[in-house]
Amino acid sequence: MAKTHVSMTVNGQTVEGLVETRTLLVHFLRETLNLTGTHIGCETSHCGACTVDLDGQSVKSCTMFAVQAEGASIRTIEGMANADGTLHVLQEGFREMHGLQCGFCTPGMIVRAYRLLQENPNPTEAEIRMGISGNLCRCTGYQNIVAAIQYAAARLNAPAVQEHAA
Amino acid sequence: MDLPVDAAQMGVTRFGIGQPVSRKEDPKLLRGEGRYADDLNLPGQLHAVMVRSRHAHGRLLGIDTRAARAMPGVAAVLTAADLQAAGIGEMGGATAVRNRDGSPILRPRQLALCIDRVRYVGEPIACVIAATLAEARDAAEAVLADIDPLPAVTGARAATGPDAPQLHEVAPSNIALDFHYGDTAAVDAALASAAHVVRLTLINSRVVVCPMEPRSAIGEYDAAAERFTFRAGSQGVLWLRDSLASVFGLPVAKFRVLTGNVGGSFGMKIAAYPEYVCILQAARLLGRPVKWTDLRSESFLSDSHGRDHEMAATLALDAEGRFLALRLQGYGNLGAYLGNATTLPQTVNAVKNIQSVYATPVIEVASYSTFTNTSPVGAYRGAGRPEANYYMERLIEAASRQTGIDAIELRRRNHIRPEALPCDTAAGTRYDSGNFPAILDRALELADWDGFPARRAESRARGMLRGRGIGQYLEVTAPPSNEMGGIRFEPDGGVTIVTGTLDYGQGHASPFAQVLVETLGIPFERITILQGDSDELIAGGGTGGSKSIMASGAAIIEAGEKVIERGRQIAAHVLEAAVADIEFTTGPAGGRFTIAGTDRSIGIMDLAERLRAGITLPDDVPASLDVQHIHEHSPSAYPNGCHVAEVEVDPETGVVAVVRYVMANDFGVLINPMLVEGQTHGGVMQGIGQALLEATHYDADGQFLSGSFLDYALPRADHGPNFTFASLPSPARTNRLGAKGCGEAGCAGSLPAVMNALVDALAEFGVSHIDMPATPERVWQAIRGRAGSAGATPQRKGSGA
Repeated sequence: MAKTHVSMTVNGQTVEGLVETRTLLVHFLRETLNLTGTHIGCETSHCGACTVDLDGQSVKSCTMFAVQAEGASIRTIEGMANADGTLHVLQEGFREMHGLQCGFCTPGMIVRAYRLLQENPNPTEAEIRMGISGNLCRCTGYQNIVAAIQYAAARLNAPAVQEHAA
Repeated sequence: MDLPVDAAQMGVTRFGIGQPVSRKEDPKLLRGEGRYADDLNLPGQLHAVMVRSRHAHGRLLGIDTRAARAMPGVAAVLTAADLQAAGIGEMGGATAVRNRDGSPILRPRQLALCIDRVRYVGEPIACVIAATLAEARDAAEAVLADIDPLPAVTGARAATGPDAPQLHEVAPSNIALDFHYGDTAAVDAALASAAHVVRLTLINSRVVVCPMEPRSAIGEYDAAAERFTFRAGSQGVLWLRDSLASVFGLPVAKFRVLTGNVGGSFGMKIAAYPEYVCILQAARLLGRPVKWTDLRSESFLSDSHGRDHEMAATLALDAEGRFLALRLQGYGNLGAYLGNATTLPQTVNAVKNIQSVYATPVIEVASYSTFTNTSPVGAYRGAGRPEANYYMERLIEAASRQTGIDAIELRRRNHIRPEALPCDTAAGTRYDSGNFPAILDRALELADWDGFPARRAESRARGMLRGRGIGQYLEVTAPPSNEMGGIRFEPDGGVTIVTGTLDYGQGHASPFAQVLVETLGIPFERITILQGDSDELIAGGGTGGSKSIMASGAAIIEAGEKVIERGRQIAAHVLEAAVADIEFTTGPAGGRFTIAGTDRSIGIMDLAERLRAGITLPDDVPASLDVQHIHEHSPSAYPNGCHVAEVEVDPETGVVAVVRYVMANDFGVLINPMLVEGQTHGGVMQGIGQALLEATHYDADGQFLSGSFLDYALPRADHGPNFTFASLPSPARTNRLGAKGCGEAGCAGSLPAVMNALVDALAEFGVSHIDMPATPERVWQAIRGRAGSAGATPQRKGSGA
């Protein structure tokens, strides 16, 4: 099958490749770029394990063709950690609040929560629950995921001076 | 064994027992660096795609693979004939459950690929192997299976009917197992003398397991060594290795099974599945690794399902409400073939768990396990434990209505009292510890039980119905098994725990390390866990039945004691003292070997370092601290607790929301309370899912109508409230940690708590029972008196009642 050239920015790096037009974005990320942190839990957009951040929106990469991402800027779980390599405050929140068990939904959940907090920096519990309701988790019962996102929101909202004093 | 722990001695160090230590697994998983089965690709690998039956039942007249074989990239198309020619045998493992006459269970032939008849939608017919996944998928669509459809049957009871289609010639009336436990005459006598007899027909609905990670595997074959390597998610590599070896008719030494990160399992990934056999044979045939990954739309059909039982439950009570006898009779759906754990829920686990926390003197369980044209049923979180507790707690609520005795009072009158423990039960179990009345009291207190009328009035003011329900439960964890405890002092200064239980989300590394910190005083950060490599194990029961902390914990403690014995001999040589004078202590400074009565000592890590650096030891002194130990017959434990749920029902739509949820649990000593609480959260939510959301449907032809996340409602984040958790431990006396196991308990408490709450909310409409899943439609119909309320049949006996 004929291949098409694609180019996009993934986690701050310009990447390119030759893909079939039917290649899904999630397969391009996982197979071509070897970014296997983005998972495939279904192929119908329902589970959210494949969620990535694309041009400022949460996108389920299992139902988007790689060619549709031409020129896009994408962030995956591999791009979540801070520049110095330490965990992003959301990742830290998931660890501190035991927001993960098997870990399979976690990358999609964190990437989704990242966008949620960009859209709504101080969400209520109900807004968090609704905001991540496109991402399925079978292990945690969601309570500690919600707590992890609250943890991150509190840290992100805290004045920087307090952050340093803590 | 009767070894009470001294809880006061535990948890004195930051990483010791009882501390909420964060998980060693998390940093990798949080960065997307987990290694799940589908994350791995091997050089030169081919890709497999399965061709599956689209009919629930039919004669397989032929398979035309010619077009598929001619398609680009196709390396092979396997059918049953190819597997048979390669000498591959039948699927299926062992099950020890027997018929009432003592004969073994009936096991019909199951091959990895259908040979002459298809028996469920999704059953594998052929396996296409090609250079790329896309090519394999294209070619799979070109395989033509000529199937002459037959009538199908999907219900466990319907399968025994005179007109039901027969799935297997060897199984008349589709019955695989006619199980019986208990004294029928004694139960009959109790029923005849009872003041009250309560009867309920209870459906324990079929669920699709749905771990977030679909199954995936890679098979390899080393022709020179004549040995397979198989990589897949599992719940224990030795279980899987032995099953595969059995199917291939080869010694277990011819298989190495490797499991990396597992994205959830809940019982489903235990078994050796047909796809695994196909890709291993393909790898042997083609000389290249072969990878296969399920699509979710296939998983709904190809993974083992859970539950699916129909039971008539009968409880006899005297005039004061004391339980006299309990009878459970019914059917368990096996699906089309016999899986490994399929019969447990309706047989031995029904017996053990229906006893629960109550002193019922005689019990009887009788069940038919039947074949139907549905996906095979396997273990699902609890495998009979939640089911049996659901039956019992629903019976108690029905008994309360029938007798007029308050349901809490009924429970209190029938609790096995703490002073009666340890005690033998009618189920043949021996409860070692617990305080069931105190657990109930604590749960009611947490629930603010007395504040309910005000909350109900507040709901009513908003046009909502509110109900509350109790689910007190007791579970019997997995039967005794052996487990490996390996401890290895590594060249880099680390210490490795090797054990056969397998973490598929629970987070074993930290609690196991906490046990080792407590036993040997080794720094927490130096400890890693090695699991999931069959070549590293000398024994191991895998993970299942809520047993890992008891089994692996005991194995680690015993192995640690062997390390201490070796260490004393080595330290005696290093410190130039007699072995008898060497003491081992753990404390803030870590594990140390000391000459008694002196200040001369050496730390265990320093001793390991000295050994690594090389010291000359006499022949009768061990050359290393490393130990490979097998812990034998880790016994069952009896975790128990009480959940209280409150639900709100919208009478206009039938939508049910769980709005308050509390639980008091006795899991004995908590090694890592944070992880224990997390396990209960997940279990409760799975119970809420089964109770209210997760509906499976087969149509009359056996087509599965709920085969995607659009059709099958898994709980989402906005479906649950926050859960309040309290621990009321009575340390187990059957294992050295005092732990009781917590993995499945969430389901056991939540099914009855939620359903009892729902029935309470609907009581004013005359609803006395409603079956799971109580979907909005079913609830809406029940409110309108159209369905779902045909449960309790009051049978009041005796003049005084």
